[in-house]
Amino acid sequence: MENRIQNLKNQALAQIIDADIEELEGLRTNYLGRRGELNKILREIQDLPAKKRPIIGQIVNDAKKAIERAIDEKHGKLQEGTGKTKWFDPTVPGNKPQIGHLHLVTQAVEEISKTFEKIGFVRVRYPEVEWDWFAFESLNMPKDHPARDEWETFFVGTPPHSKYGQMVLTPHTSSGQIREMTRVKNPPIRMLNIAKTYRRQSDVAHIPMFHQFEGLVVDKEISVVHLKGTLDYFARSFFGPKRKIRLRPFHFQFTEPSFEFDISCDICQGRGCKLCKAGWLELGGAGMVHPQVLKNGGIDPKHYTGFAFGAGLERSFMMKSGLKIDDVRTLYSSDLRFLRQF
Amino acid sequence: MDIKIPDSWLRDYLKTSANSAKIAECLSLSGPSVEKIEKKGKDAIYSIEVTTNRVDSVGVFGIAREAAAILPRFGISASLSSVKTKSRQEFAKEVDYLETKVDHKLCPRFTAILIRDIKIGPSPVFIQERLKAIGSRPINNVVDISNYLMYELGQPLHTFDYNKIRGAKMILRESKRGEKLTTLDGKTHILPGGDIVIEDGDGRLIDLAGIMGGKNSEVDENTKNVLLFVQNYNPVNIRRDVMTLAKRTDAATLFEKGLDPELVEVTMRRGIDLFVQICKGKPESKILDLYPNPYSSKTVRLTEKFVEDRLGVPIAKNDISKILDSLGLKTQWNGEDLSVSIPSWRARDINLPEDILEEVARLYGYHNMPSKIMNGEIPEPLENSPFEFEIKVKRTLQGWGGTEVYTSSLVSKEQVASDWSLKLKNPLGSDSEYLRLSLAPSLIDAASKNKREEDPMHLFEMSKVYLPIRGNLPEEKMMLAGVFANQSFEDTKGVIEALLESLGIEATFAQEDSRWFLPHHRLVVKSGKLELGQFGVLKKEGLIYYEFGVEDVRSVSKPLTTYIPTPKYPSQVEDISLVLKSRTLLGEIIKSMETADQQISSVRLVDTFEDTKTLRVTYQSLSKTLTDKEVEKIRKKVLDRMKKKFGARLKN
Repeated sequence: MENRIQNLKNQALAQIIDADIEELEGLRTNYLGRRGELNKILREIQDLPAKKRPIIGQIVNDAKKAIERAIDEKHGKLQEGTGKTKWFDPTVPGNKPQIGHLHLVTQAVEEISKTFEKIGFVRVRYPEVEWDWFAFESLNMPKDHPARDEWETFFVGTPPHSKYGQMVLTPHTSSGQIREMTRVKNPPIRMLNIAKTYRRQSDVAHIPMFHQFEGLVVDKEISVVHLKGTLDYFARSFFGPKRKIRLRPFHFQFTEPSFEFDISCDICQGRGCKLCKAGWLELGGAGMVHPQVLKNGGIDPKHYTGFAFGAGLERSFMMKSGLKIDDVRTLYSSDLRFLRQF
Repeated sequence: MDIKIPDSWLRDYLKTSANSAKIAECLSLSGPSVEKIEKKGKDAIYSIEVTTNRVDSVGVFGIAREAAAILPRFGISASLSSVKTKSRQEFAKEVDYLETKVDHKLCPRFTAILIRDIKIGPSPVFIQERLKAIGSRPINNVVDISNYLMYELGQPLHTFDYNKIRGAKMILRESKRGEKLTTLDGKTHILPGGDIVIEDGDGRLIDLAGIMGGKNSEVDENTKNVLLFVQNYNPVNIRRDVMTLAKRTDAATLFEKGLDPELVEVTMRRGIDLFVQICKGKPESKILDLYPNPYSSKTVRLTEKFVEDRLGVPIAKNDISKILDSLGLKTQWNGEDLSVSIPSWRARDINLPEDILEEVARLYGYHNMPSKIMNGEIPEPLENSPFEFEIKVKRTLQGWGGTEVYTSSLVSKEQVASDWSLKLKNPLGSDSEYLRLSLAPSLIDAASKNKREEDPMHLFEMSKVYLPIRGNLPEEKMMLAGVFANQSFEDTKGVIEALLESLGIEATFAQEDSRWFLPHHRLVVKSGKLELGQFGVLKKEGLIYYEFGVEDVRSVSKPLTTYIPTPKYPSQVEDISLVLKSRTLLGEIIKSMETADQQISSVRLVDTFEDTKTLRVTYQSLSKTLTDKEVEKIRKKVLDRMKKKFGARLKN
């Protein structure tokens, strides 16, 4: 049977070479048509032993393809001769529309929002120019508290508010915590606050204006395992299923207990390398909302508990993508040669 | 606070089989974070970050105390050796070698002892080595002892040349505004008042207490008798000094966090030991100790259920006790109720049941806890949330070739160009002194940074501007702005028109001049009476600029436009070429044509040759197919109108 197919194919190819345009269509029906020669053979396959069937089937299909291509090519040549089609160069470069780019920060904001929206977080926006009360005092950091040194804060030169103190540029998204508690009043709260933040610093690793994202959850029976679960979920969905989170004890005035959270390093898979601290990269701060902070937000700490976490957006996004931008200031340089890469 | 601890020094107080890597790992998981370990000869140096509330852990002994509690939780045996001292001097309220007057609000505990006949020289090699290992320069035995003990125990000490304290008298008081004092480093300070200072019998200031000693009472190579000085200061005053004098020393950094007054005692005894041993000094038999309010233990109460509720995992009562006891907190159960008595070194950071909870949790190990997502109700979505709209606008512009930029909200004085703006009190530089009122200067800047670009360029940004309000926070107004370069007016205006159309906005463009734009080149974009923004060609470099108030645009955007049935009958289309008088506004022509007859469904510019404009007119009736005759009638109406209103005529 193999021979028969081979012969049939050779015969067809020979006929195609000499065919004119009408004959070509005849040959197509003859060999490839539903009742054509090759389909005839396919029908006979059933009589063959089961083992042989796929082999013959394959040979028939190869023959079909070869004949089909020969007919198409011949067709093209005949047409060209008649002047119906001209020579055409399809390798000419295309006229691309201008390709636009969303900034890395926007891309990060979108991804982080989506990740948390899936577990019921509500994205909000609060002032970037804030009163000291919301940025510090209500978060358990009275004036002159040494803990404030960590936040190198910009102050606005307007007269202070009689109740809320000085006007500042928010040094962290945590200033949205009290705002959110006051807005919602009755928990549940699952807040996601992504905003510009400002600190008095400028070097390759720091910029005076950057972004943070902050989560706040307040409800009945919220405990440390929920904080851990939420951060774990974030690590897996944002950074990838293999990444892990660890909590380390830390101190913030507005949470108790407090933590820093790290993500496992993807470069060394947690074994420890030059870029990380023994397999871990520091991501942000977190903790259980301090009862005084709940009180300051008008929420009764006897009935409700909560947790909060915050991290740098640019840093998180760079850790996700593996982008090594050696000078973070590049992000805000408006240089098209940089922006077009994303 | 970042500190360095040599492993060999740590093992003076920590007895364990764990190696340095294991110690670092366990500390990080349950206590202070070890940032790195450096090998130095046979020794290893830990770099440790101690949080501001845990000043009791700053120092070799403090870290050893933490490690001794933490390591056993990881199944590694460890124990803490206490600080051993030989000195047996009596703590006394009065001594004959020093007369004092102390304000105890500033100095809750004041101790001092006179040590005579000391020999000044280099300190022993092991002290020098250890100081060098942590980055402190050895000077002489007297200075080195102070530093060594400060790094070991976390309590600063000071030594005066006893003979330079005139009248053997000290008055510890608040400074008066304008008093002068020269510190050990030779700097003279004019004091703002309220600093803690010590005055001697001649009324000279001899110490900027808690921060740095005075030059006039300094120990030098001729010093024979020293006054060893170990104090506890009010952290609030020290903190204020540090901030107002902008003078930060290791001692001040410790004092401003609030130290344990009980720590004074062991530091004093150990200091005496080292002065005897190393400087061959002869201490007096009494230590002056002014301590009117000694520490009395306080108690924090909580329940077993509280621990379980807040952690989300049950922890057995005896395990809770074991953890707390290992940290030096004494526990007593009464049924479900737990009282914890707090040792002096933790008195400042443990006040609430939540503070106890943290101690239990970290030693139990966060890594041993499960992860859960909270159940419970999902909160209500935010009413009138702007975020979807904002990203839609950004994506639309991106789709048409726009590149998004983020520029700084902080700009220079020239860039705000208005007195009614917010100025920072402590800017980093003059280029970032003000909160911006407009995105325009930043975008013009961004465009000029990309001057070398020859391709069409469209940069846009969506960010806030900050409009001051007297006596209140500024209005933070979200703006959309962009610049185009290397593109025609028509192409860029089309992007804006298309954007508004895709947002379901019927906008009008009215020409109105303003100072930043070329004459006749600016359009105000409105929807009804509401001004949405502006578009036009700037005087500056001929850039095409636009800006919109995002909330204004959102307020008139219709996400779902109402359904209009598609016409059942074919339309007729023809091109009409009109010759216009010069200075005729094409926008007016088209508007007028479109409104000339209800059956004109659209008028579009297809070609321009000098004053001749070819317009493609679509005739469409909703009720029938228009005949040539009917079209002719409409055309005549249009052309008459063009002639009358604009003096425009049909070409040939």
